[in-house]
Amino acid sequence: MPRSVWKGPFVDGYLLNKAEAARSSGRNEVIKIWSRRSTILPQFVGLVFGVYNGKKFIPVQVSENMVGHKFGEFSPTRTFTSHAADKKAKRG
Amino acid sequence: MARIAGVNIPTNKRVPISLRYIYGIGPKNAQDICDKLSIPGERRVNQLTDEEILRIRELIDREYRVEGDLRREVAMNIKRLMDMACYRGLRHRRGLPVRGQRTHTNARTRKGKAVAIAGKKKVTK
Repeated sequence: MPRSVWKGPFVDGYLLNKAEAARSSGRNEVIKIWSRRSTILPQFVGLVFGVYNGKKFIPVQVSENMVGHKFGEFSPTRTFTSHAADKKAKRG
Repeated sequence: MARIAGVNIPTNKRVPISLRYIYGIGPKNAQDICDKLSIPGERRVNQLTDEEILRIRELIDREYRVEGDLRREVAMNIKRLMDMACYRGLRHRRGLPVRGQRTHTNARTRKGKAVAIAGKKKVTK
């Protein structure tokens, strides 16, 4: 079930301050954040966030169609492994 | 034979059933169309007058997104997710389930037919 509209989007408050500070400073540096649960707001568009995935900060350039998604969606926490490469190695 | 919404030629079935042969029209939409045009559900497509078929065609053109347009919209939505490189997009790219289902077993619809692992010995009884 989706979140009630009257509550508005969920964002950790300190992100707003961080984003504001980055904007006013004007430098294009990565804003490190741990708050993967926060919604991406329209005022974050154009900024670069380093979203923590438990190990590293994944740089995320926020574009317009990311608005409404959560930061965590852009910073995968699991490494993908497959067997495709093993086959040739074993036969050769 | 009746051509409604491009290529679809529903047969001599009842109207709400045969409308469902159109991509994008399911049980609900088919029933709604019949109700709006006050066509009784027992009528078969070959019993419809030309005028009624025309009215169905116009209604679908006006209010429903079907066939190619709908397919394109769905494909665009998936493409948007993939271009954004968000979690759901990555799952689409890999051909794995998107909505958090388990992949340890099952998930064969998304993953396709099972492929045997090379070199794995079979259990003999």
